[in-house]
Amino acid sequence: MRTLSTKAPESADGTTGPRAPSRRRRPVREKQWPAYVFLSPWMIGAGVVTLLPMAVSLYLSFTDYNLFDAPNWVGLRNYAEMLFEDPRYWRSVGTTLLYVLVAVPLKLILALGAAMLLKNLNRGRGFYRSAFYAPSLLGASMSIALVWRALFNDGGTVPDVLAALGIDTGGWVGNPHLAVYTVVLLTVWQFGAPMVIFLAGLQQISPDLYEAAALDGAGPWRQFVAVTVPMLSPVVFFNLVLEIINSFQVFTPAFAVSSGDGGPADSTLFYTLFLYERGFTASHMGYAAAMAWLLLLAVGVITLILFRTSRSWVFYADEEGR
Amino acid sequence: MPEPRSARRRPPSRRAVLTAATAGLATVLVSTLTGCSAADGGTSQGVTLTFSWWGNDNRAERTDEAVRLFEKEHPGVTVRTSNSDFGSYLQKLATQAAGGGMPDVAQLDYRQISRYAGSGALMPLGEAIGNKTIRTDEIDQQFLRTGSYEGGQYALPMGRGITGYAYDSALYAKAGVPTPQPSWTWQDWENANKKIAALGLKSPDGRPVTGANDGGGNQDVFETWLRSRGGQLYASQTRLGFTEDDLAEFWAFCDRLRREGAIAAAEDTTQANSTETSPIGRGLAAADFTWDAPFPGYAKLLGESTHFAPVPSTNGRAGSYFKPSMLVGISANTKHPKEAAQLIDFLLNDPRAGDILGFTRSTPPNRVIAANVSKTLKGPELEIYQYAQTMEKYGLAAPPTAPPPGDLPINTAFKRNYQRVMFGLATPRQAARELIEEANRELRS
Repeated sequence: MRTLSTKAPESADGTTGPRAPSRRRRPVREKQWPAYVFLSPWMIGAGVVTLLPMAVSLYLSFTDYNLFDAPNWVGLRNYAEMLFEDPRYWRSVGTTLLYVLVAVPLKLILALGAAMLLKNLNRGRGFYRSAFYAPSLLGASMSIALVWRALFNDGGTVPDVLAALGIDTGGWVGNPHLAVYTVVLLTVWQFGAPMVIFLAGLQQISPDLYEAAALDGAGPWRQFVAVTVPMLSPVVFFNLVLEIINSFQVFTPAFAVSSGDGGPADSTLFYTLFLYERGFTASHMGYAAAMAWLLLLAVGVITLILFRTSRSWVFYADEEGR
Repeated sequence: MPEPRSARRRPPSRRAVLTAATAGLATVLVSTLTGCSAADGGTSQGVTLTFSWWGNDNRAERTDEAVRLFEKEHPGVTVRTSNSDFGSYLQKLATQAAGGGMPDVAQLDYRQISRYAGSGALMPLGEAIGNKTIRTDEIDQQFLRTGSYEGGQYALPMGRGITGYAYDSALYAKAGVPTPQPSWTWQDWENANKKIAALGLKSPDGRPVTGANDGGGNQDVFETWLRSRGGQLYASQTRLGFTEDDLAEFWAFCDRLRREGAIAAAEDTTQANSTETSPIGRGLAAADFTWDAPFPGYAKLLGESTHFAPVPSTNGRAGSYFKPSMLVGISANTKHPKEAAQLIDFLLNDPRAGDILGFTRSTPPNRVIAANVSKTLKGPELEIYQYAQTMEKYGLAAPPTAPPPGDLPINTAFKRNYQRVMFGLATPRQAARELIEEANRELRS
């Protein structure tokens, strides 16, 4: 153990430079295994409740498991059925993409706008920050989703107020053209979480930059475009990735608004809702598992693409000059 | 054991800390394990049974009351009950059954029997029936068979239900529509709806009152319509009993009436998720298709002028039939088969339980209890009892065999595909074709 632990840093020395050896001389490796003991509750948890179920789910996606009978291997049949035979699969993909493409930009724009307003607010900032953040804490709950459903029902507050303003929409929940937007609005309403991150990001931007820009004659809009946006781009990127990943997994609001069936006429049939219905209503657990894996794959690919494109638009100040 | 204590005096060695940590971890594991077994109900003092069902508040209250009486009669037996609404109940039970944690006694839907019995999730009841722990003498033998699978008895019917039609008799009288008789036809129904819509009445929120809820998305209504024409939903466990033409005709019929304003508007039908929020509950329609057991709830909600009538016929041929509204079975994993059987027997055959439960699960299967209870019935409950008798006398075709397990997703597909028709996203024929393709996929697997 000892020879191995002292040798390892030495071999790394050549690449990391002259200061490294003095920091790494302590025999760290010898004490590593207690660390694992202390980590073990987490590691056992991750293994038993995350990795193992994932492995089982991958296996089940190639079977016809129906909760009751022992699973039979069916190869790629579940994948083939969902991609080539089931029109509802693609309908659920379409609904989810529409939702992501509308809800994520709206939410981020609102979050950034609110953060810009709060940044220059001296009195009451704490209060407003908490007030705007509150929906993010409440929004994921079933009760809020049910209240939301009642607000947008026929005879609910929103259609009534709109009708009083001369816009007669009728109930949103029962209308397949509008139902999905009740879910979009519920998500957008929870802009507080990305707002707090934006706010922290805005406060990191050095006032010197704004001062210099002002001296050069830049107005507020020019300052926003030339200073705020590039300096904030890592935070924008972080929020974008996070929100996209979360949005693909939206479930509770769609479940509540549609009473669990993705209706009316599949207009709120989000990917996860369809997955749930396949697994738990129709007992096609194999099919549902296959859906979950394709979702993981798709979100992974989208995240990868985002990371690739980020090189051309995200500006990391500390990487400057490398 | 002494090691940790001695470690207190000296600074603890690494080994001591590790031992303590490992021991602590082990205790955590052990305590969770014991926690599990305690939750399973194997206490030495007595027996704890779990019993779950679905249903409204009225059924829940009365079932709880009956269960408390059972506990009083059987000292040492505790029954933990749980109930939920129908939709989530089936999913919950399926998950519990898959994990081996199904309640000892569970209320079951007709379409669950084949899957639960076939996969060994239910305990065969032959022995309990044989030694008279569960008495079945007063239950109609043909009706008892609805709880059997491949020759074995796996569940017992808890009630005998039948489809019907809740309508506002005051509105019907006002529109000059005669009281619906068992022989009234779908054509009569169409005319009734048109007459009521022609009254030009307004609901509380100022919108027109229509003749009825739109039954197009309701598989039970379609089945009754289909049977009144001599058809059936399923030809076998793997084959549909109707064609694309049948379904397209039914949906075109409902679609036309809705477009003409004779039955409820599309948005009002789709946003409904209970009787209260459905068109009839909101004063937007004069009638609704329903079952006998929930009818007293309609009368309570909508007032005394609400009555229960037969579903329309085709040339006098009725499509309704007596169906086990729900069944009850015992988990194959139960630790207390005897007590579980006693609970079932008590719920089905004890006269006092019968009095408490009344008609909350439709007509009790035990003939003696049904006859006894019927003497004390009044109002809407008496009405559904008399309705069942009237329909029995009128003559109904034999009930179909148990629906296949795939009926559950087909049922939701039915509603969904008709919603596409309602909003013009598909023609009745396109929607019918899609439903049949989907149904065939479900039946194949």
